[in-house]
Amino acid sequence: MSGPRGDAGAPIFTVSRDGACDEAALLGRIGQGDEDAMAAFYREHGRVVLAQVLLVVGERVLAEEIVQDAMLAVWRGAGSFRGESSVRSWVIAIARRQTRDRLRGRRLRVVDDAFLADQPGSGPGPEVTALDRAELAEVKGAIRELALPHREVLGLAFGSGLSLREVAGVLEIPVGTVKSRLAAARTALSRILNEKGQDR
Amino acid sequence: MNADTRSPHLDLEDLIAGAAGQPLGDRAREHLASCRHCQLEANRWNLVADGVRGLAAAGPQAAVGPAAAQPARPRRTGQREMAGPWRRAMLVAGSAAAALVLLVGIGAVTGYVHVHLSGPGTEAALTAVTGCTQLDQADGTLEQVNGSGLVIKTASGRPVTVTTTMTTFVSMSGALLGDITDGASVMVRGSRSDATINAAIVTVGQPFSAVNPPGFVPVRGTVSGASTAGFTLLTSGGTRVRVTTSSDTLVVVPHASLGQLQAGTSIFAVGHAGLDGTLSARGLAAVSQLRSGPHVGVSVKGCSPSSIAEALGAISAAPVSAG
Repeated sequence: MSGPRGDAGAPIFTVSRDGACDEAALLGRIGQGDEDAMAAFYREHGRVVLAQVLLVVGERVLAEEIVQDAMLAVWRGAGSFRGESSVRSWVIAIARRQTRDRLRGRRLRVVDDAFLADQPGSGPGPEVTALDRAELAEVKGAIRELALPHREVLGLAFGSGLSLREVAGVLEIPVGTVKSRLAAARTALSRILNEKGQDR
Repeated sequence: MNADTRSPHLDLEDLIAGAAGQPLGDRAREHLASCRHCQLEANRWNLVADGVRGLAAAGPQAAVGPAAAQPARPRRTGQREMAGPWRRAMLVAGSAAAALVLLVGIGAVTGYVHVHLSGPGTEAALTAVTGCTQLDQADGTLEQVNGSGLVIKTASGRPVTVTTTMTTFVSMSGALLGDITDGASVMVRGSRSDATINAAIVTVGQPFSAVNPPGFVPVRGTVSGASTAGFTLLTSGGTRVRVTTSSDTLVVVPHASLGQLQAGTSIFAVGHAGLDGTLSARGLAAVSQLRSGPHVGVSVKGCSPSSIAEALGAISAAPVSAG
């Protein structure tokens, strides 16, 4: 172990989703080497970050290693947090960069949104109907089959507690593109469900 | 709402925000309540969001230990298995299993993060919902309502954070005589005495089918002259019926808002366990006159919203049904 311990009397649970000030203070403590603060940080964000990375890479051990690297980056770089985004989106962005680095050999492709955004029709097509009929377990299975950018944007929008603006910040794309990517992800999801339904 | 004045419907941002559990504006809520098209769209996005949250909850929970210390995590079991480097870190950290504290050592030199968590604090805060394996239940006392979320204190004393979306079904029941107001459409069930009904249950607004305990003939109409002692019920046939109420009268509001719920009330939440220590509620029932203790297991006929509403409706009427 290394790093000086922080205030031993300080409460461990100092963070909340809405407590931006508390979270900034927590990062300040981490920057001073406070291990309890790091533990609290992990409790607050570790599971969500791991879930997001796991959704993207699809391999548990690799995802755990990426989160470990991300948390280490937080430990080392807590002082670099400038408060320009929420702490949650900041750490997810760190993890996303770690993911990109790890997957570099496999080429985390930059995907053309025009390609991703299969334009849905104006009325409820068979894919929409498939989504209306689908059970949760089927939806979870279908999400696993989505293309990586679709899984990623769905995870950020619905699994990470980020606003659309924050999702856009993490992905480094405009908010409008986030929305069109989400719509395309749902269309693709519905299409998978529809195909599975036809197979039954 | 949609900035495009040609479309009266909710826009994508509203639908996504709602599915993500973020609060909607009043206009959007009002539109959603009356628009079948948007309700269907909201349900589709909710299903997608539930799928993501379900994957997230199922994925990492067996992999990492530290989150077990979270006080509000609604988990069915306290067992978890560490894997990969966390397992290695766990072995390094040793086996001080009785400790309550989370010990984190970060080896800047080695690049390892050592995490050890042990001790109690992982007892179940959720229970299964009979009839739908995808649903979980949290019940206890309502501690507070914050925007679109609320905190339930369970019987074991643990707080559970519950989030709602625009389609979460919210009901309340109790001695809520103040919610019977002039002009309200109500369903009255009670014993008749001459031309008067001594109300046992008054349902305000669109009634539950489930709120129909045996022994009572329902009479429906519009309220006038409301007071704590009773009101006059004007039926669709033009008949006026005097209804008396008392502190024993159970008032059920099947379609309530979170802002109407009172702290200290017994509350039941049914939904999907999320990743970050929350329950994403599909339905809520706040019941302030339970006579048989705070814990009632929710049983549904299926996983559909109507099945959940029906089950929570039965719980809303439990003070009279059980009595």
